[in-house]
Amino acid sequence: MLSLQVEELRISFPGLAAPVLLIDRLYIDAGQRVAITGGSGSGKSTLINVVTGLERAQAGRVLWNGQDIARLAETTRDRWRAEHVGLVMQDFHLFPGLSAVENVLLPARLARAAGADVVTHAHELLQAVSLARPDQRIDSMSRGEMQRVAIARALLRRPGVIIADEPTASLDAEAGEAVGNLLLHLAAQTGATLIVVSHDQRLINRLDRRIALQGGRIVADRAAGEVAA
Amino acid sequence: MTRFILADLRRLWAGALVVVLLVALATALGVTVTLQERALRLGSARAADKFDLVIGAAGSETQLVLSSVFLQPAPLPLLAGEVLPKLLADPRVAWAAPVGFGDSFSGYPVVGTTKALISSTVAGLAEGRMFDKEGEALVGAAVKLPLGAEIKPMHGSSATGGETHAGVVYHVSGRLPPTGTPWDRAILVPIQAVWHVHGLGEDEHHDEHEEHGGERAAVPGDVEDHADHDHHGIDADAPVKETFAGELPGLPAILVKPKTIADAYKLRQAYRSGTTTAVFPGEVLTNLYATLGDARLVLSAVAAGSQGLVAAALVLVTVTHIGQRRRQIGALRAFGAPRWAVFMIVWLELFLLVALGVGLGYLIGFTAAHMIASAFTVQSGIVLPVEFARQDLLAAVVLLASAAALAAVPAVLAYRQSPARALRA
Repeated sequence: MLSLQVEELRISFPGLAAPVLLIDRLYIDAGQRVAITGGSGSGKSTLINVVTGLERAQAGRVLWNGQDIARLAETTRDRWRAEHVGLVMQDFHLFPGLSAVENVLLPARLARAAGADVVTHAHELLQAVSLARPDQRIDSMSRGEMQRVAIARALLRRPGVIIADEPTASLDAEAGEAVGNLLLHLAAQTGATLIVVSHDQRLINRLDRRIALQGGRIVADRAAGEVAA
Repeated sequence: MTRFILADLRRLWAGALVVVLLVALATALGVTVTLQERALRLGSARAADKFDLVIGAAGSETQLVLSSVFLQPAPLPLLAGEVLPKLLADPRVAWAAPVGFGDSFSGYPVVGTTKALISSTVAGLAEGRMFDKEGEALVGAAVKLPLGAEIKPMHGSSATGGETHAGVVYHVSGRLPPTGTPWDRAILVPIQAVWHVHGLGEDEHHDEHEEHGGERAAVPGDVEDHADHDHHGIDADAPVKETFAGELPGLPAILVKPKTIADAYKLRQAYRSGTTTAVFPGEVLTNLYATLGDARLVLSAVAAGSQGLVAAALVLVTVTHIGQRRRQIGALRAFGAPRWAVFMIVWLELFLLVALGVGLGYLIGFTAAHMIASAFTVQSGIVLPVEFARQDLLAAVVLLASAAALAAVPAVLAYRQSPARALRA
């Protein structure tokens, strides 16, 4: 249930003349479900990194519910992200050798935030993503199952925003649809804001709002059902 | 965190094993050198412990100690026989005993000596009784001969092409308790028997005219070089006589127990002139160690060098490894693992491996030193005490501290890397 307000954001990388991201103003309502689209090099990943606090905004403000995370120190930003952002990535980033539930709990455990209730929640989430064997090793799972584990991990600490970076890109159509369903369903259930970077038209079509990026700028921003201008 | 590290190590078990073994071998090398050198020093010092003062003919002090204390077979110049009665009569001397070498049996040195030396240096016999007749022998604890066994001494040793003394047979009458010295491998016979075997002292007809024997002894020279040794025998049933008086054959060495420390210094002074030399074996050994110390320094440097190489290799391997795991580490951060947790994972993982290697290395080093020491004991009779000392603990702490510092290098790299950049890679 976090709202995002981006103001006068400008990100440049050394060696590149043009800024990779230049956003004067972007507002996303709490609970909104937004798709971000754009070709490679359009600045999608940089936008995700900046709004999750993985990358620091050199100029501008990134406000979540009014709190500017661009002003936070790195350690504080890490903690803020751990508590408020549920991340799902294209490559899952699950850790081999650990079971499904251990993977779900790993970041929380490393942050010493895995109490008994969190462990219970982890099992509930695995059930919610239809994985019956929480002790199954990650190595023996299909890609679709792995992404479902990753979704459970993202939701463990009841984040205010779920951010998914190409969550279906490495999955077949069927598994991709299941993952899309889960994301939408769980976001609706928890009321979390959902931001999805995707090329997957079927997934994009199911979201409330589409923001298109090109060359680091927002070139289109329209609600579902609106016809392209 | 522990589970994550263990899962990680299980996954990378082959690399982890190589790291542990590398560290273990480098550590073991250093540990073995240190332990072995200490064992050699302690062991030889203990072997020389019983012999306060050794008097021999003028010549190499080191050779005198090596031959008399460590029973190393080597020709020694002979000491005039009259020194012995003079020493025995000296009020500063608690006891003095001649030793005669040159013969061997089955690889064991045959040493001629006196009851006085044996009863003053060991407390009782392990079995049997003291030699009473010229044809009787005592064996050291490590000599594999039963009581009553026949001993046919050989001049020199079989390894140097010696030949058996015809008609000379000793019978084992008793066994000495273990002493941890080369004397455990010795066959001790009455000194008069050694003289008779070599045609010195009283002649074999046992006619009590000691002057005749004395003439031979007056000829200086080495027992081993005596040409007509096999023409003489012993009178196996003659009683052992230990009143050394009149003219005696030349002696390779006399072991002396002074009454006091002051006496020891005075005696050494008195017998350090012209034809005789007197040494404290402990002092000679100290000089010897000073020489060996340089060799140890070289070995220690080699060991330290190999440890340094392993350390450098480890840093290289882990830094490369961290490079390969950038994405994984970045992902951990992205999903909410704090930076210190990332640092601890990398640090602990490497430190655990190195600590395991160091521990294993100490074990291997200790075992290796033990095996070397045992082999040495079988060969020489000298028991080498392989033991850890306080400075080993210090060395282990230093080693672990450097391992901790070493492990911090990749951990800091992991700590500092930007998760966003790592995920892009």
